[in-house]
Amino acid sequence: MSMLASLTAAREPGQGITPRRILLAWSTQVRVINALVLRETKTRYGNYKIGFLWALIEPLVGVSVFVAIFANLRNDSPGGMPLVPFMLVGFICYGLFRDPWSCMQGAISNSRNLLTFPQVTTFDVILARGILEVLVTFFVLGFLLYMAYLAGFEVRCERPLGVLLVCLLLCILGLGMGFLFASLEPLIPSIKQFGTQVLGRPLYFGSGLFFSADSLPAPIREYLLYNPVLHMIELVRGEFFHEFETAYGSWFYASMWSFTTLAVGLLTHQAVHKRAIVKK
Amino acid sequence: MIRLRNVCKRYRTQAGYRVVLDDVNLEFPVGKSVGILGLNGAGKSTLIRIIGDAEPPDSGQVLCDQRVSWPLGYAGGFQGNLTARENARFVARIYGESTRYVEEFTREFSELGEYFDEPLKSYSAGMQGRFAFSVSLACNFEYYLVDEALETGDARYREKFRMAFEERRANASVILVSHNEQTIRRNCDMAAILHEGSLVLYEDLKEALHEYNILQNQPR
Repeated sequence: MSMLASLTAAREPGQGITPRRILLAWSTQVRVINALVLRETKTRYGNYKIGFLWALIEPLVGVSVFVAIFANLRNDSPGGMPLVPFMLVGFICYGLFRDPWSCMQGAISNSRNLLTFPQVTTFDVILARGILEVLVTFFVLGFLLYMAYLAGFEVRCERPLGVLLVCLLLCILGLGMGFLFASLEPLIPSIKQFGTQVLGRPLYFGSGLFFSADSLPAPIREYLLYNPVLHMIELVRGEFFHEFETAYGSWFYASMWSFTTLAVGLLTHQAVHKRAIVKK
Repeated sequence: MIRLRNVCKRYRTQAGYRVVLDDVNLEFPVGKSVGILGLNGAGKSTLIRIIGDAEPPDSGQVLCDQRVSWPLGYAGGFQGNLTARENARFVARIYGESTRYVEEFTREFSELGEYFDEPLKSYSAGMQGRFAFSVSLACNFEYYLVDEALETGDARYREKFRMAFEERRANASVILVSHNEQTIRRNCDMAAILHEGSLVLYEDLKEALHEYNILQNQPR
């Protein structure tokens, strides 16, 4: 009975939003997103023999390259922080912002088939990708830091709660960008290239993944500090390393950007999803 | 009951707007299977997608108080690089059915054998149709929305599906879109014709087919 009701509730004759309808809509949505996340896991990782390992290899390669470069370039560690954990935290936390964004942006075009099911909405397919990506990146962050610890590097988290907070800000920013780009992508396909080339590249090099803000010359720093991701990376290192307190990362600036971006992303989705669903 | 109320839908093409549904009002009678006839490009598939809530109308409403299937076509709704088993589990999850039951029923009924664990994209059109129908039968809908695809598969399987469907005729009906008279005659109690944005229901199947014939032979 409850099943029958939840499927038809939205289109039953009669007006108004009743508590029963809200509850049924909610339970349907949870069920659908759960199914989508499981399905997404299968399609993303199920086809590779090495599965989840792939998610570990990518940041590991990035970190290794930069560690190799910097270890030869200079001997002192940045801001007194141990080099390898410094890089790991920077690269993987950046992933918390970039990965949901890059993975969500094709969600509508790549899930057209699934939208045939009435209870599967564009919101669900976009969010499911974001959720999976956030979960995987958090897992990677924990796993690689633990590996680094086992390998004998100095890994000591000073304020775990603060680290978690900054990580959430990064995720929210990534989800906001994801919703924005995923909603527009069916209407303006080239926005994907714009995202990765015009925005992604400078962000990758200008967000402090392999440097800290106080190591920059003042005029450059002034401009780079408009970048909210640099603020967040600074903040997360300040919370993580007891050797380091950030002089530049601003909680206020970072959270303003995160929540505004999320709002803009969701509003854009609301405004265009009906058109995006039709576009072939 | 499924009722269309003031449903409008148009598409933008190079040559301007093309109206597919122009203020359509229609109630599908309870327990009757209805065929929808229309010339190529009249908007039959769009109509069934709107009834199945796979696409929103520009304006107007679709009201219903029964379990309606998703629009069944060849592979619509499924993920080609996943196996039939995985697709069946996905459907079970989003409809809140037992994954084990749906999986088992589909495997038995579709007779796909070892192909059941192969990716869907390796299937022939007939096999995909077989899979789609088997999954939908596992879900016990009250309305089945079918887009042309009833004619897939070999004759024996078609017969098996028809039998299964006859069995639940008492509490399941079909809304079937086709430009094939034979298909409609075999599966439906009445028919509606979609032409130039308006949808007209004929209680008498013969009359509908007669009208449709006139329409088909009209010079365009």
